[in-house]
Parts: sequence; structure tokens; C-alpha cells
Amino acid sequence: MGKYLLRRILQMIPVILGTTLLIYALVFALPGDPVRAMFGARPVNEAVAAQIRSEYNLDKPFIIQYLLFLKNALSLNFGMTFSGQPVISVIGRAFPVTIRLALMAFVFEGIFGVIFGVISGLKKGKWYDSVILIVSLLLISVPTFVTGFVLQYFIGVKWRILPVTAGGSPGFLDLLMPAMVLGSVSMAYIIRLARTEVSSNISEDYVRTARAKGMSNRSVIMRHILRNSLIPVVTYLGTDIGALMGGAMITERIFNIQGVGNTLYQAILRGEGPLVVSIVTILVLVFVVCNLVVDMLYAVLDPRIRYA
Amino acid sequence: MTDSNTTISENTNDFVVQPLHGQERFVAPIDETPVQEVDSVDESKVASSMWADAWRSMRKNPLFIVSGILILIILIVAIFPGIFTKVDPNYCNLPQSLDGPSSGHPLGFNQQGCDVYSRVVYGARTSVSVGILTTVIVTLFGGIVGALAGFYGGWLDAVLSRITDIFFAIPMLLGAIVVLQMFKTSTSIWKVVLVLALFGWVTTARIIRGSVLEAKNLEFNTASTALGSSPLRNLFRHVVPNALAPVIVLTTTSLGSYIVAEATLSFLGVGLPTTVVSWGGDISDAQSLLRIDPQVLFYPSLALAITVLAFIMMGDAVKDALDPKSRV
Repeated sequence: MGKYLLRRILQMIPVILGTTLLIYALVFALPGDPVRAMFGARPVNEAVAAQIRSEYNLDKPFIIQYLLFLKNALSLNFGMTFSGQPVISVIGRAFPVTIRLALMAFVFEGIFGVIFGVISGLKKGKWYDSVILIVSLLLISVPTFVTGFVLQYFIGVKWRILPVTAGGSPGFLDLLMPAMVLGSVSMAYIIRLARTEVSSNISEDYVRTARAKGMSNRSVIMRHILRNSLIPVVTYLGTDIGALMGGAMITERIFNIQGVGNTLYQAILRGEGPLVVSIVTILVLVFVVCNLVVDMLYAVLDPRIRYA
Repeated sequence: MTDSNTTISENTNDFVVQPLHGQERFVAPIDETPVQEVDSVDESKVASSMWADAWRSMRKNPLFIVSGILILIILIVAIFPGIFTKVDPNYCNLPQSLDGPSSGHPLGFNQQGCDVYSRVVYGARTSVSVGILTTVIVTLFGGIVGALAGFYGGWLDAVLSRITDIFFAIPMLLGAIVVLQMFKTSTSIWKVVLVLALFGWVTTARIIRGSVLEAKNLEFNTASTALGSSPLRNLFRHVVPNALAPVIVLTTTSLGSYIVAEATLSFLGVGLPTTVVSWGGDISDAQSLLRIDPQVLFYPSLALAITVLAFIMMGDAVKDALDPKSRV
């Protein structure tokens, strides 16, 4: 296990280097001159522009820029945004909001996804199974931004149950509706996954054996069916944390949350290389670490899997 | 009774069955058919393959029938939009802005005064072509990368797998926004398709690599090598067909998700150019009208949802058919 863990952590290094290089190259290739854009409509003062360029290393060749970025990033110095704030403080402001949002969405999709999925898998063919199935299919096929608008309109504007937008420092209630929207698609996938797993495990031999031993229905479901069915669900949930943080871009725009997604989107539009690459690097780190944790969890949950 | 029993056991020892008194013996007529004709493979008929079995069970699945009919209708609308409406989707008349339904315009007008029904009909072509083109490219490219990595293993697998990991770690939407930002001034359907494919091939590559690894070590592959076929022939003749099932399932389901991704990119303002009639663009335009005229938002969303739903249902039906274990 220790050896496996070490190998996986070593494998993460080329992935992180590759991803940052790729994103850096893409952002580098963005059209338009960000320094020129900073002057707006005013005439460009070439001396000032040159000074800014050297300050942000924009006058150096691409690969040098990238290596300089890496060198600084290792000491958590992500440089300055074009508006003169340290990137790290922008990130420090945006990430807590998105982490809270993603965690709420995570809890929401985990709890409701598993409950509905298991109910529907145990009672396959009943009317509520069909209802759950149709609703989950609808949630998958309607784009998140449409779900977001519709919920925002009914819950926020028409019935005034929850706040319409989240604003500066959002609390639990402000983030409740965005979290539901963010988690809705994943919840639908979890429902489908749990349903398939439960309904296929229910006819396994070991379940019949457990029933034949005289085990109560409750214990059969809890100890045998659920334990085996939830392994893939846990895997899905684990990899989803990273996806939720990335997917927050849409939700944060709809509900005007000043989180990572919104910051990143605006940074991309402005062509702010350092900020984009820094945020993406952190997102990729979160994603890669989550994947590793999931693989480790897998070995803990499923005794058949042992890593050498 | 005891008597006859002992007789039989004695007789069987001698391998000669003596007719008992009063017991009839039935002797089958001597079978003159040569062994060849019974045992030989009937080469004139097509073998019942996994695909034939799958097709037979899928045909009866209501999920397949419903989604098949829906997809057929969507394809007809996408190929021949002219049959369904005579109104030009790009003819917009501002005085008619947000007018309700009238004769010839069953769904009313949007903010620009364009006919909503006509735009919904013509939008089908955009969404369906983005979905299909992306899926085709993703499947070909991801399939080739995955098959090569899984089949040859070694350093090729190591290199390809690391590249796959790199692309896998970048969320599709995020990567697509950055790349499309480069082409901001001149987006087209093809650019959106290529960008979606650039970040979408990874899943296919991973799945096909896994199933090729699994199929590679099966006996028929060894047998084929023993018969003298080259590795490349083995790969395409034996391994890939056996690894195809999970890819087909993924392909059908992900087609819908590419359509959603295209709509989302258009919503974020980096997708298709505004001159292309698309559901995503129309939904995006209508978002600010939700409080004034929700139906302008409703119809393109509905069309998009039905299309995606049809492909997801088709994916489910294919999965049920190709995975005999999931049949109930």
C-alpha cells in the first residue's frame, strides 16, 4: 500500500506539470495584448508598457515565462493580477466561497442521490421508481443553466423562499439554491448508478444466502446489498468534488457568487495568464488528489482490491 | 422385481442387454448420416453473434422504440427543416418583438422579433451536427489512442496514459472556454466541435484501453497468434470488436452531453457565432426575459431537453442490450 501510494504521488507530478504547461500554452496563445488593453482608450505609453511587460515577464519567451511561473508557484508566489492585487489574495477570497458551495452541493447530491437511488433500485417497477427515474433523466437532459434560471425564477422571484442571488459574503441560505442547482446533475447520475447497482445486487447469490439464513430484510439490505452497491457511488462522489469546483462556473454566474468559477471566467475573458493558470493549477491539484483518495478508499471498502 | 433387477445389473456388466421375457425392445434405425453433416458448421447461415442477440433483445425494449422514434424525428427535422416551417429563422422584425402566437407563427416571436418555432426547428441541425460530429471524432481518436495503449503496453502505454491523464485533469468546459477564447472573433460549428473533441476523447480512450487490456489476454487471441496472424491483425480483428460494447454505450450517452456542452458554451458567450441558429444561443438570449416572457426561454430548452433525453434513453437501451447481466 505504501509503495503504491508513493508511486501514485510520483505519477501526479508529470500530470500536474503537463496540465499547467498545457493551460499556460493555451492562455499564452490567446489573442490580444493584455498590456495594451490595460490602457483602455488612452494612448499607449510605450515606456510604461515595456516596464509592465518586464514586470510580468511578458517580454520573455514562452518557455521561460512558464518556468519562472513554476519556480514562483513552488514558493506559493503566484504573482500579481493585472489590476495589481496579489493573485494569492484573490484566490484566498474566491476559494472559501466555492469550497463551501461545492461541499453543500456534494452533501446534497450524496444524501438525496443515494436515498432516491436505493429506494428506486429496491422497488424496481413501482410507480415511484418510474417517477424517480424520469426526474433524474430530466435533470440530466436539461442544461444546468436552464435548471438554474427556472429555480431562480420560481423559488427566488415568484415564491420568495430563498434569496435570488448570493452577493459578496454568502451565508448558508444564500448558497442553498445554487448548491442544489450545482449538485442536481450529479445527483441524477448517482440516482441512476445506485439504482442499477442495487437492482443487480439484489439478485446475487449472497443475498439469497443471507435471506436463507433467516436474516431480517433490514440487515440484508444494510449489510449486504448497500455495502456492495455503494462502492461505485463512493467512487463517483470522490471524483465529483473536483468536477463540482470546475462546474461552479455556470452556477456562480447565474447566482452572482464571487467564487473561483466567476473569477476564473473573468480572468479568461481578460486574458490574465497568471491568474488563470494559478486557479487551474489548484483545481487540477484538487482533482488529482481526490482521485487518489478515491482509489485508496476503494481498497478500504472493497476487500477484494489490494494494491501491491 | 428383485429378480429382474439382479438380471439387469448382471447383464450390464457384460455390456450385453438380454431381452427379458415379455419386455419389448426398441431399436432405432441405423443412422446413415455421416458425422460431418451433423457436426459441421452451417456456413450458409450467419452465426448468432453477440450483436445479433443484442439487436434482438433491444428491438423489444420500449425504451429503444420510444428513443428510436424520437431520434428519427429529430434527424428528419435536422436534415429537412424546410418541411416543418416555411418561415426564415433569420428573418426578424423588431415591431413583432415578443408578440404572442399568431397564424403561421405557432410559438410567437422572440425579443428580436424572430419566429420562435422556426428557430427551434432550424436549431435542431446545429445541435445534432455538433453532437454527432464531436462523438465521431472523439470515438475515432480516443478509440485509436486507447486501443494502441492497451494493446502494445510498455512505453507507448506509459506515454499515452500520461497524456490522457493530463487531459483528464482539465475539466472539459474550462478547457473549451480557454481555447474558444482564442478563436473568439471567428467561431464556427467546426471549431466548437474540435474543441469539445479535444477535451472529450479522454474518457473513450480510457474505457477502450481498459477493455482492450481485458480482451488481449483471452484465449482466442492467443489462438489467433498461434495461427500466425500479426499483432495488428489481432488488434483489429479480435480485440477491438470485443472491446467495442462499452464504447458504444458511452458514445450514445455522451452524444447528449456534447449537445449540452455546446449549449453551455453558447450560454457563456464563447460558443457558436450569433449568426448560427442554435438552441444554446437562443436560450442564452432569452435568459434575461425569464421574468417577462418565459415561453421564449421554454421552447428551445424543451427542444434541447427532448433531444438529449432521446440520446440518453437510446444509450440506456443499448446498455441493456449489450450487457446481458443487467437484463431482468
